[in-house]
Amino acid sequence: MSEFAFRKINIDALEEDVLLPSDLYDPDPRGEQDVLSDAQQKSSEVRNLISRGDIAGALNTVLSDPPYGEGVDEAKDLTKNSLLLILNSTRASEIQGILKSLGQEQQDHLMAYIYKGMAAIGQGSDVSGSVLLNWHAQLTEVAGVGCIVRVMTDRRTL
Amino acid sequence: MSSPEIFQLSLGPLTGIAFSPDRSQVCVCPNTNEAQIYTRNGEQWDLTDTLAEHDKLITAIAWGPNTNRIVTCSQDRNAYVWTQTEQGWKPALVILKINRAATCVKWSPAENKFAVGSGSRIIAICHFDEENNWWTAKQIKKPLRSTILSLDWHPNNYLLAAGTADGKVYVYSGYIKGLEAKPEATIWGDRLPTGAVLAEFKSPNGGWVHDVAFSPSGDILAFVAHDSSLNVIYAAGPNEPPAAHIVVKLPSLPFTSLTFVSESSIVAAGHDCQPILFTGSESGWSISHSLDDPTSSSKPLTPSATGVRSGGVGRLGNNEAFNMFKAADSKGQRGTPQPGAAPSSAGLTPVGQDGQLLTIHQNTITHVEPYEWNQNGEVSKIFTTGRDGRLVLWPVSAGKGLSGRMAGLQV
Repeated sequence: MSEFAFRKINIDALEEDVLLPSDLYDPDPRGEQDVLSDAQQKSSEVRNLISRGDIAGALNTVLSDPPYGEGVDEAKDLTKNSLLLILNSTRASEIQGILKSLGQEQQDHLMAYIYKGMAAIGQGSDVSGSVLLNWHAQLTEVAGVGCIVRVMTDRRTL
Repeated sequence: MSSPEIFQLSLGPLTGIAFSPDRSQVCVCPNTNEAQIYTRNGEQWDLTDTLAEHDKLITAIAWGPNTNRIVTCSQDRNAYVWTQTEQGWKPALVILKINRAATCVKWSPAENKFAVGSGSRIIAICHFDEENNWWTAKQIKKPLRSTILSLDWHPNNYLLAAGTADGKVYVYSGYIKGLEAKPEATIWGDRLPTGAVLAEFKSPNGGWVHDVAFSPSGDILAFVAHDSSLNVIYAAGPNEPPAAHIVVKLPSLPFTSLTFVSESSIVAAGHDCQPILFTGSESGWSISHSLDDPTSSSKPLTPSATGVRSGGVGRLGNNEAFNMFKAADSKGQRGTPQPGAAPSSAGLTPVGQDGQLLTIHQNTITHVEPYEWNQNGEVSKIFTTGRDGRLVLWPVSAGKGLSGRMAGLQV
């Protein structure tokens, strides 16, 4: 086994000139606390909007300035949950119209959350794969494959 | 509008390409450690010379249009400058002083120096050292944090743009003291010591930058990144933020290469296998049209082969079932696609019934460059090469947009 031991060495710890995540993207200008309170506020706003049937408005709210980066896991979870709540409570016939009303930036964010939702399937969250796949198919139709490429490329993980 | 000329130069990818000054010869690397020079013979290209000196894959080739010198750079961390003599092409050593692969190379407009980008976070600006009879490099290291993937010189011979793998684009001063006259102030900056960073830009979603290009005047900088974006930047003046940074987010796959056709039009191409013409100004840019229209059926899809065996492997070459599995294996295509499928809104490249793409290029385009200019100095033809081993010469109707296309239609 000893000949494989070198593979477990953390070379970043030995390298002085190591590339950090912060070199690759700018951290959120809001502080961690602000991000969290922002997410909490949006989450309750989304609940209100859904109960009034304003899905487009709810999606718009949750997809503007979503939390990203390191150290904001709680805010990320909150945002993800309220987003999945929106996706679950939308009628399939309304999806196309809602997607078209979103901006390009928001479409990219939505795609990222759809993938995040797919990753969470089978981990105790109440997401249905068919709902996510339906949103994914329709979003790709509207925003193109470029939207998927942007999600895969972006290091500001939502 | 005349149709594009298609040549199959290799079965595998072409990793580097450069045309001779008079366009009668082309130097390509067929994904090996050797560069081949082909000479045009009517509709064919004949292999006339082989440049063999590198140990590993050649990553880029540049051919100086005025001095007729070729520079090649390779993963073996070396570059060679090739000069034509009566005994053939002779290499001259370049002292790059890099410890990772060289990735890209460009002659400066005056051809007294060239720049090499590398995986060791260094840009080497090389000039000839008469005393030792070799090329030496001045290195730019700051503030580079990753591999340099693309370079382009400003027409004034001093400024250099570099695109990197961490999604940043820098404009440097490439002035070398003692070699050339002191540069005059430009719209990008007025103080120009070697290696000074005059401007820094970022791709919108952090995608690595595939290619950068200055416009013919040098006042506009454009780059394409892996987040499917085309960025156009208008400089405002020294030490000032740019007048405009226009981002076009595409519905299609990312572009890997771009070139300015005029101050108001750009051709970009990449993973979608077709060159796309963009037009715009300081107020905004948008897609004009694709130079390769997959819906038209009149274009010749069979390339003229050049020294390449035809058919596939042995007797299986013409077997339909074999070709289907081969396409599924090499291109990820399954099932029977719809005949003549138009490009969908999802920005996917259309696939024909035989599993071939309906575009001329059958794989990613990796290189776009001007081929011919008209009397007004505008680009009238461009060439593209790709991973399918094809070289294609495309006519460009610059700036005319839709009306230019309609003129070519027969009603």
